[in-house]
Amino acid sequence: MATMPTFFRRTVGAGYDVRPDAAARPVRVQPERDPFQLRALPNDDIFFYCKKIDNSRLVREADPQARGACWRAIGAACVLVAMLTSAFFPTVGTTLAGYRLEALRAEERHLLAEGRGLDLQEAELLSPARLDKLARENNLVTPSSGQVVHLDGNSDGAVAMVQE
Amino acid sequence: MVERRLTWLAAIVLLWGAAILQKLVSLQVLHHQEYSRMARARQEVVIELPAPRGAIFDRSGQPLAMSVQTESVYVNPLKVPDLGVASEILALVLHVDRAGLYEKMREAYDSDRGFLWVKRKIAPEEAESLRTLRLEWIKIQTESLRHYPKGSLAAHVLGAVNFEERGTAGVEKALDNELRGQPGQARVLTDVKRRGIDSQLSAEARAGTPVTLTIDERLQFVAEREIAAAVKTHHAVSGSVVVMNPYSGDVLAMASFPDYDPNASPEPGESLARYQNHAVSVPFEPGSVFKVITLSAALETTSLRPESPINCHGGVLRLPGRTIHDSHGGLGVIPMAIVLAKSSNIGAIQVGMRVGQENMYQYMRRFGFGQRTGIQLPAESAGKVYKLSRWGTTSLASVSMGQEVSVTTLQLAQAASVVANGGMLVRPRLVLKNGNQAAPEQPPVRAIKPETAITMRQMMEGVVLPGGSGTRARLAGYTVGGKTGSAQIFDFATRHYTHSYNGSFMGIAPLTNPRIVVVVTLNGTHGGEAGFGGVVAAPVFRVVATEALRVLDVPKDLPETESAKIPAEKSEPAYDLADADTRPDAPNILEEGDDENAADPAQPRAPNFQGMTMRAVLAEASAKGLTVLPNGSGIARIQYPAPGSPLHDGDRIRVQFKR
Repeated sequence: MATMPTFFRRTVGAGYDVRPDAAARPVRVQPERDPFQLRALPNDDIFFYCKKIDNSRLVREADPQARGACWRAIGAACVLVAMLTSAFFPTVGTTLAGYRLEALRAEERHLLAEGRGLDLQEAELLSPARLDKLARENNLVTPSSGQVVHLDGNSDGAVAMVQE
Repeated sequence: MVERRLTWLAAIVLLWGAAILQKLVSLQVLHHQEYSRMARARQEVVIELPAPRGAIFDRSGQPLAMSVQTESVYVNPLKVPDLGVASEILALVLHVDRAGLYEKMREAYDSDRGFLWVKRKIAPEEAESLRTLRLEWIKIQTESLRHYPKGSLAAHVLGAVNFEERGTAGVEKALDNELRGQPGQARVLTDVKRRGIDSQLSAEARAGTPVTLTIDERLQFVAEREIAAAVKTHHAVSGSVVVMNPYSGDVLAMASFPDYDPNASPEPGESLARYQNHAVSVPFEPGSVFKVITLSAALETTSLRPESPINCHGGVLRLPGRTIHDSHGGLGVIPMAIVLAKSSNIGAIQVGMRVGQENMYQYMRRFGFGQRTGIQLPAESAGKVYKLSRWGTTSLASVSMGQEVSVTTLQLAQAASVVANGGMLVRPRLVLKNGNQAAPEQPPVRAIKPETAITMRQMMEGVVLPGGSGTRARLAGYTVGGKTGSAQIFDFATRHYTHSYNGSFMGIAPLTNPRIVVVVTLNGTHGGEAGFGGVVAAPVFRVVATEALRVLDVPKDLPETESAKIPAEKSEPAYDLADADTRPDAPNILEEGDDENAADPAQPRAPNFQGMTMRAVLAEASAKGLTVLPNGSGIARIQYPAPGSPLHDGDRIRVQFKR
């Protein structure tokens, strides 16, 4: 079984060299190790194996206090979330409403411009010169004065008949 | 050890905090403006809120002029990456000359100008094509475009606007302040996709006030159609028609020919005569229609009655240095009513002599001559009535038959209204409503007594009855009163009266309860009697008045058979020529300006640029503080307004140069 140093070829770091001319070289003296420094991996005394641990005998005892604390924490988190949501809700709502409002404003401007264009078209179509030309093409004549009788007595009304 | 580390940690945190603080101060205090501006540039979009120019409607609410949104393209030549490529792209999309555009861009770039209109009022498809290019240096701006949906209908009344949508003529100019809107601005906060989140109004848009005119588009159309046909048929130079309500002064139609389409810009070098509103801006000697004023004054100031005998001296009257003839055969002693019906010049002079100079002058002023009517149109002429001190020995005779006085068609309509409404002088008005507010009516002023007006109406009926000079003006089913007029036109070059005429007809219908007054004038008719008012203008009156009475739903006051007794073709000859003073040195009133202009010598007048180079014209205009619109190159040939014409605030002088 290959050891970790062999695997990583970390011979120098461990102060051990496997190369043939290693003996000829002076052995490097390691300084005093810092107690907090991790120990370098040894070369050959680590073996990996599977250890079976049976925890079936361990029984978790009921801890009502911890459970209560847990629920309290969950409750507090929920309240916090609710508070944050309620705090940010108007802002988010305003932003979304702003989007809608601006879109509607733009649409209003567009529709007004379109409406003006349609009014213009209608006015062009109702031009007296055009109507006169159409009337001539269809052999229509202007009724003489007094020939048109308004049935409701109101000259502005559309209901009228031609008197023969 | 631990303390030392904590000290280091604290120091680092402190330094970090200090760095953050320093950055915050830099961002929010030192460079606040700069970063705000940058943020605004990225997050804010300034949009222009349109404030369309007020629409103009006719009295029944039909739009005659309105504004629609359109788009224009401009570039900053200093920020265009490659002028050649840019002009290529823009020329392709906007269908403009590439070389010309390149030259303009190059010129703007060389002179360090950061703004250049590429094309204004582009089509929606062109704007869409430019947007799809997504080129930052192409800027599109929304503008307003004035449109006249009925084309040339009422063009002289409406006028026109220039590129800045400022009125240049007609109602557009007279009511420019009311019609013009004030565009607003809003700052829109946008997200990364340029969608609007919030907007803030920087300046509120104020739309122009819509204006409703007294014009009825149906009557206007008929008036324009008929006057155009009459001018062409009788080979006249120009013509005008005014239809007016005699009680309110509402102008129901005001037609002038030749006309123009206000949607189209004037062509370079074209005559500007057709842009003149002949009904209000071009005064003329009225001729025999003026006899109505002479006889009204006689009824008021003398003992003369319609049946009073007037000696017409067999058609010839000798005055100091001048002989007056009646255009028809010699008339002897005839009642005053026949003087009007037959349009006898000598009879009118005899009546005028009885009235006297002072009374005659007073009544001319009472009928509104020699003063502007005050209608809401620019460049209205006041006509001309000489002050009494300037009257010569034969002035009374001339004025009595409509010479030595100049009037406009509108003034004649105003005078006819006096007779029609029972003696009140009403001011013609063109604006019915300003926005939702009814335009105020000026109170009428009494000009003549009601009984005089009624008598005049009866005498005017004689003009259209058999034997009168205006039988072609008779209407089917309605009583009509009127007066024909034919005045010779003075040639300023030869200083002689020519054989061209101003043929006119002034009519009232129905005579029993007048609802309309119609005045028709044709200028420059020819062919002797064929060019007289009774021949050329009376038929126009008949058609226009018939249509007006139909549209206004006026009940008939005559049985149909009654009016059909005398067909128009069998009518009497229209002898109504006002015999002109044909001496070579005879003065002419049209040589002088209007009365009201003469009364204001301080008013600026158009200088005479003709024959000058462009440099000289511009130098003189600059020295006098005038705005000149030059056109062409070479020597100034034509200018409008004509030299000596009064100039009003904001008037520009168009000068046509030719080599």
